[in-house]
Amino acid sequence: MKKFIFILLISGGLWPLLTFAQSNEIISANDLFGDLRARHIGPALMSGRINDLETHPSNPRILYVGTAGGGVWKSNDAGTTFNPIFDDYCQSIGAIALDPNNPDNIIYVGTGETWTRNSVSIGDGLYKSMDGGANWKKIGLSKSERIANIIVNPSNSNEIYVAVLGALWSDNEERGVFKSTDGGTTWKKILYVNQKTGCADLAMDPKNPNILYASMWEFRRTAWSFESGGESSGLYKSMDAGKTWDKIHTGFPQGKLGRLAIAIAPSSPNILYTVIEAEEDARKGLYRSDDAGENWKQLNNDFGITVRPFYFSKIVVDPRNSDVVIKAGLSGSISRDGGKTFKNLGNMHSDIHDIVFDVKDSERLYVGTDGGVYRSWNGGTTMEICENLPLSQFYHVSVDNAEPYNVYGGLQDNGSWYGPSSADGGVAAREWNSVGAGDGFRVLKHPTKNIVYSEMQGAENVWRIDVENKLVKTIQPLPAKGNPKFRFNWNTPIALSELQADRLYIGSQFLHKSEDRGDTWKIISPDLTTNDKAKQEQVNSGGLSKDNSGAENHTTIFSIAESPLDENIIWVGTDDGNVQLTTDGGKNWTNTTANIVGLPKYTWAYHIEASSHNKETAYVVFEGHSTGDFNPYVFKTSDFGKTWKSIVTNEINGFARNIQEDFVNPDLLFLGTEFGLYITLDGGKSWAKFTQNMPAVAVHYIELQKQTNDLVLATHGRGIIIIDDISPLREITPQIFTEEVRFFASKPTVMKDQSGFGVSFGTETQFVGQNPSSAAQIKYLLPKRHTFGKMTLEIKDMNDNLIATLGAGKSKGINIVNWSYSIKQPKVAKGKTFSFGGFASPRVKAGTYKAVITKGNQVFEHKFDLIYDKHANLSRQDRELQFKTTMKLYNMTQELAYLVYELDAFYEAVKEKDNKTATALNALKESLVITSGDNYVGSAEPQLREKMADLYSKLVANYDKPSSNEIDNLEMIEKRFEQAKADFSKLKKKAKIKNLTLKPYEDFINE
Amino acid sequence: MKTVKLLLLAFILVVSAQSYAQTADEIIAKYFENSGGIANWKSIEGMKMIAKINQGGMVIPLEIIQLKSGKQMTVINFQGKTIKQGVFDGEVLWSTNFMTQKAEKGDQETTDNMKLQKNDFPDPFLNYRMKGYQAEFLGKETIDGVETFKIKLTKNPILVDGVKEENVSYYFFDAENYVPLIVQSEIKSGPMKGQVSEAKFSDYQEVGGVYFPYSLTQGLKGQAGQTIAIDKIELNPQIDPKEFSFPEEVSNPQENK
Repeated sequence: MKKFIFILLISGGLWPLLTFAQSNEIISANDLFGDLRARHIGPALMSGRINDLETHPSNPRILYVGTAGGGVWKSNDAGTTFNPIFDDYCQSIGAIALDPNNPDNIIYVGTGETWTRNSVSIGDGLYKSMDGGANWKKIGLSKSERIANIIVNPSNSNEIYVAVLGALWSDNEERGVFKSTDGGTTWKKILYVNQKTGCADLAMDPKNPNILYASMWEFRRTAWSFESGGESSGLYKSMDAGKTWDKIHTGFPQGKLGRLAIAIAPSSPNILYTVIEAEEDARKGLYRSDDAGENWKQLNNDFGITVRPFYFSKIVVDPRNSDVVIKAGLSGSISRDGGKTFKNLGNMHSDIHDIVFDVKDSERLYVGTDGGVYRSWNGGTTMEICENLPLSQFYHVSVDNAEPYNVYGGLQDNGSWYGPSSADGGVAAREWNSVGAGDGFRVLKHPTKNIVYSEMQGAENVWRIDVENKLVKTIQPLPAKGNPKFRFNWNTPIALSELQADRLYIGSQFLHKSEDRGDTWKIISPDLTTNDKAKQEQVNSGGLSKDNSGAENHTTIFSIAESPLDENIIWVGTDDGNVQLTTDGGKNWTNTTANIVGLPKYTWAYHIEASSHNKETAYVVFEGHSTGDFNPYVFKTSDFGKTWKSIVTNEINGFARNIQEDFVNPDLLFLGTEFGLYITLDGGKSWAKFTQNMPAVAVHYIELQKQTNDLVLATHGRGIIIIDDISPLREITPQIFTEEVRFFASKPTVMKDQSGFGVSFGTETQFVGQNPSSAAQIKYLLPKRHTFGKMTLEIKDMNDNLIATLGAGKSKGINIVNWSYSIKQPKVAKGKTFSFGGFASPRVKAGTYKAVITKGNQVFEHKFDLIYDKHANLSRQDRELQFKTTMKLYNMTQELAYLVYELDAFYEAVKEKDNKTATALNALKESLVITSGDNYVGSAEPQLREKMADLYSKLVANYDKPSSNEIDNLEMIEKRFEQAKADFSKLKKKAKIKNLTLKPYEDFINE
Repeated sequence: MKTVKLLLLAFILVVSAQSYAQTADEIIAKYFENSGGIANWKSIEGMKMIAKINQGGMVIPLEIIQLKSGKQMTVINFQGKTIKQGVFDGEVLWSTNFMTQKAEKGDQETTDNMKLQKNDFPDPFLNYRMKGYQAEFLGKETIDGVETFKIKLTKNPILVDGVKEENVSYYFFDAENYVPLIVQSEIKSGPMKGQVSEAKFSDYQEVGGVYFPYSLTQGLKGQAGQTIAIDKIELNPQIDPKEFSFPEEVSNPQENK
């Protein structure tokens, strides 16, 4: 007995039981998601922000792309197609470097975007792959937040230099230039200025790896301002591999400096270019040195050179021509006279961040923009977009109730869009519709009318779009007499009511309400923010270069939630930390923030989720990343904010922005953080990261579609990601882990009649979003992976007739098996060629079926329903006729197959002794099946088999009941078949063969 | 008291499992030991698998034959017609063209790469060093809900569009019973180049003293795959060598009259 228990223990048999006995309240979802997989629908037509491009030193077809929020992508075909290679890690990328001595295997990725706009994400260190990106290891600099450059010494692979720009919102010592001499195992800081100043750019002399140039930048962002430049910025040079550094400012402007770029002409390393952000406008711009930095001369201060240094301070020199210089910028500028004059690069998406020249041909170059990667074949004159990068950076997402439902959302610098959640042939770029300009945020569909609301940054425009009539109107609230200036956030909240279709809310510092779709507005609150004047000085923001884009507007309302249970209950969250509540439609407001314990003061109330289960319940997600606080804060109240409880555990990585409550199970919650999606099954006692085809991307907003139970994620770097039908998660309780197999309930499956013509021409090199499965899905949970012994999944009807055999899922957790609600194709008579119609599988009738899992000697059954598609508008009788006629042809096809099988046997038996009968049999066969030709254009004249199978497959493919013409055709075929049977019967008698061994009919058709 | 003892025992077991450093060779040795023993594995001369795939209602019957000599083929029977795919006789790789139903040779590079895989039967890890392969233990990883040992297998380099490339696959061995559960490798050529393919194994059953997976699900990493369900495995089948030979087309003299 003891031994028995011992064996059970080591085989893990008792472990699950023990675990649950100890803590029956927690339901850990770790490793349970199984086949519940994310599907990506992009779009890629506007792609997303690019931070760094990297080429292979000898293979011009290989290109790496480091993106602002969508990870690392590799192309093997010069940008025609891409694959992501860094999905399990931080998706905000600063720099990529290949070891020049082993470029196929050794790759370094520095995380954390370096173009420090307001919406920038964060990094979490430096990673290394030794096998071309298949496996990654973090090798340090975990607190670096953003990495600007990585340089591997071409004559010593163990020597690596890393430029750490460092923390944007807080003081931090992990910044400056770092060096490793052991391939990244240990790091030493070799250039450091202070806690506010990081290394923005780093360059190594290509002929002498001891010579380095580093630009140091003093910078700081808060939620309400940005400061570029100071006494600590400067350009440094080292001649001794980083041991000592000297400022090289001869010829530089006086006073404070801002963000500087540095570039060496690879063909002539004494020629350097820098772009300088200075106090005096006249002294800003491009400078050149022809003596390796000893002296500098100003060349140009055009707009394209000086524009927004924090966003565009990047220079690239043609590797073969020291006079060809490209400067990043609003449009990108190219000089062919050593930097004296510039012209714009060809037309492409604005905001150019990086440029790389092809390693073999300078006419070919790649450009990274706010809207993806562009490629030029003619030195930048014309640019074409790489269509394969789904990097869209959504701020928000909403859905409608259409079938299939549409997805609506706004993007960083890429307007507002809506598109279908599925489409014929997949969700291609052409499926998406533009409904807004500028930066896009909330896009909301009117609940009943064909109207879409959208907005641009700071509510500069809020649009109401009559989609059908293509009428566009702006409806943003304007101040009237007695009103102060309205303060709208860059990302202004707009909200609909679930109870009043025409109602609309917008938040400035006040809550504005409209009952007529935005035609008239009423202010229904006092200033709900702290109204701290010190945080309202945006006009002075930017530092050395004024930058008042509206991105820093602060002390504003950021989240609005009307309770779905009571229209008088409205929650409002502000960017300066207030959570305000009214329970009387705005007459009285209560600030509940003081009741929250464990939350730093003024932490941004990013999202409020008013519960759909209980009107006193709400969830608030706070985030403090703009103070350098990267902890997740999620609080729940069940008493109108009198008390709050944190539902965060240390399983959650990254600061959180959004939470979604399930409509059915109040303990099922979805949390979007900067590093992915987390799910709790127990109301927040434990959280598990969802990683099934889900990259570690920032999730900014989450929506749950009510009809389909699809979870729709607005990611800031990988577009819209959908997890189809999360309903199995609702059923997971500790008890079900004790069951060997546990089936999940499923809604009746509609056997889809709708179809179309998905055209793939023109999308070969485009990203095309995946469609959901339209099959009947058998869903079940296995508490343990099935590895040993047979496990099968069969579909049976209620009379236990076998209908189909499917490949069972064997993973631990949720398994999903698709069944096309059809039986196998008929057995078809053997001919010279294929009868293509015979490959069709007929659908079963609507009704109840059983999924039967056999696992070893145990059998598990689950009933489920199939229903007809109402779109076809067919009566029960029509369906019956369609099924009967199809199955008649199915059976005829199989009978003909058997007849031909018999005929061939008789022919073989008589051919030597009875030439006449043999010839007659052969003649009959030639009228039954094709006996010559091929399967393509060399095909022969169709015979009975082909006519029968063609009509059969026509009926299988048609949604409709058989037409009179089809019935007539069937009659003709039937007659012909009867004739054939009679003819064969006569010939059989003539053949006078006894004792011919034939397989019985059933065996023949099932073999 | 009994419970305390048991818990203590369990604790010791867990701790010792953790502190016990694995090597690739130990894991591979355990795999062969647990799945039938190295002698049984070495005695396998050939395999014939009877299988089927259900592709959206269309059931495709397959017969997969692999021999120690590297000879192999997949035979599909459709409407009474035999179609052979991936036939390799040790020198020539060929398949039946679906349109003409005639045999056509595979391109030379694919054929050459096929020759390199001759040694993979019955298992690439069997005597892997003698084949010039390398195996490296990368660490533990939870995949498919199971704790596994991840092993990198590097085989002889293949040619891709005329360029030599490393031939690497990653195997995930069940940490409990040491059988392979999943193998992943980067697709090296064609329009899917750069994506990662994945095959999952389950339904291990014994044939002739050796455990083989009777269920194989193939697809792209992170996506739903296509399952091949094996009904029967026959060891050391007798196959006429002519079955693997490329059928040279002979012109029909009657047509030339």
